[in-house]
Amino acid sequence: MGTLKVFNPVAKPVETRLQPAPRPADLRGKRIGLYWNLKAGGDVALQRTKELLAERFPDARFSFYRGDVGFTMRHLTAREADRIAREVDAVIGTTSD
Amino acid sequence: MILLERRGIPTVSYTAAGFVQDARRSAVTFGLPELPIAVVPTPFTNQPPERIRAMVEGAIGQVVAGLTRPLPMAEPPREGVVLLEEEWLTFTGEDQLAAAREMNERFLSYGWGDGLPLVPPTEQAIEGMLRGTRRGPDDVVAVLEPGFGLATVKKIAANAVMAGCRPEHLPVVLAAVQCLAEPKIYLRNKAMSTGPHAPLLWVNGPIRRRIGLNSGVCALGPGACSFANTVIGRAVRLCMMNIGHTYPGVSDMDTIGSPLKYSACVAENEEASPWPPYHVEHGFDRETSTLTLLFVYGICELHDFQSTEPERLTEVFATAALNVAQVPTGLWLIGRRADPRYGTEEKEHHCLFICPEHAEVFRRAGWEKGHIRRALHRRARLPFRLLMLNKEPQALATAHPELTWLWESPETLVPVLEDAECYDIVVVGGAAGRGAFFWGAGEPVTKAIEE
Repeated sequence: MGTLKVFNPVAKPVETRLQPAPRPADLRGKRIGLYWNLKAGGDVALQRTKELLAERFPDARFSFYRGDVGFTMRHLTAREADRIAREVDAVIGTTSD
Repeated sequence: MILLERRGIPTVSYTAAGFVQDARRSAVTFGLPELPIAVVPTPFTNQPPERIRAMVEGAIGQVVAGLTRPLPMAEPPREGVVLLEEEWLTFTGEDQLAAAREMNERFLSYGWGDGLPLVPPTEQAIEGMLRGTRRGPDDVVAVLEPGFGLATVKKIAANAVMAGCRPEHLPVVLAAVQCLAEPKIYLRNKAMSTGPHAPLLWVNGPIRRRIGLNSGVCALGPGACSFANTVIGRAVRLCMMNIGHTYPGVSDMDTIGSPLKYSACVAENEEASPWPPYHVEHGFDRETSTLTLLFVYGICELHDFQSTEPERLTEVFATAALNVAQVPTGLWLIGRRADPRYGTEEKEHHCLFICPEHAEVFRRAGWEKGHIRRALHRRARLPFRLLMLNKEPQALATAHPELTWLWESPETLVPVLEDAECYDIVVVGGAAGRGAFFWGAGEPVTKAIEE
């Protein structure tokens, strides 16, 4: 009978835990940010999103954003995130393929 | 989106069905497993507008729910990555070979291997491997993304054992892990991409000869002459997987994959080079050993048995850089690879492994590496129209508004890389006029190897 004792090669992750942002009850009267990371087609998706939400929440207002650094995918910097957080109440993104 | 959630702004992200696990893993590693997504059938890329609009119409309910439904904090899900609490694992079989086979089967089922047989990381094997470094087993070398795994010397040693390394190889693997963790490498981008980013390694300095690294015939392998190269490159891949948690289909979303991802490691053929070695060129002493790591998309040959003049040779070499289907070709027009968490930005680099015969052509003409770089940069140009075929026009307007005039002059020749310094040159190989060209992804990082 053969027995082999081996070291677990998988590293433990350094874990962090954040609190999700509180959610509003609905989107009536809300300022909604539409964030495009500049991957192809995301602009079309966000434009259609705006149209559909505007039908459902006529008093909602919309702003479009793009990341301020990057290339085929553009990312938000902390400064840009601060600005968006001041300007809108919620954000919809085309970010993860 | 995490940045915004941290600022109290609710978010939801469109995510294609094939990327849900990837998105969930990212959310977990960034500490927000509840992050809402709106799942659509396919990525928006390469889709006609009417198809994109239809996908959005089908997902709008998820969008509203993601922004308005309360998100109670939950225990992070563990699917995808197998994390066992036990420090030591025991396998049995009819004999030792059967036990080793059982270990391999189990590790494969956990996703812990590269598909090739793994050497069992027994206590004895790890102790032997640790003799290759002066560092303590619990020293933390780095925290590797995308999974934020704690890269202790012992974990790295275990993966080096599994790859088939010898103790004298460990210092090179440790240096490679340090390179991977360098913010400028932006490992998260390369490890999780849908592209075939593979770490290409080259070693300089006296350690090359001491540990038997191959810089000549068949340096990139396979074969016995490249044993050290092969196992070191393989160890780096296993570290990316088991320490950085870069697991295919879970967090590594490479569309096709690449054989370069198994192992891609060479030594510079300093003895056959007419120029200062790569590491000396980059500020290290000749007697210091270094490891350089550059992520690359792919490789093509630099074949030329005809040219005896450097201008003609660089004309041939430059054609390798003119492949529009490669990501870095003209990428600078739409920005730079950037990680806003660390404020890093990278220019796209290409790497040329120039063979000694071609190096000799340049030497005879008195050319230094700088001459070659400038000649490549001068010749590797394409019409703006071609470079923009696979790029988002609005990205150009965002990154370089001063260049939007090029749409009016689409045949203007534009360099494929940002400047001449974006060509890295290393002398590698045996005796024939055949080098190699690598389309790079970002910039290389060089670290001293601590022996």
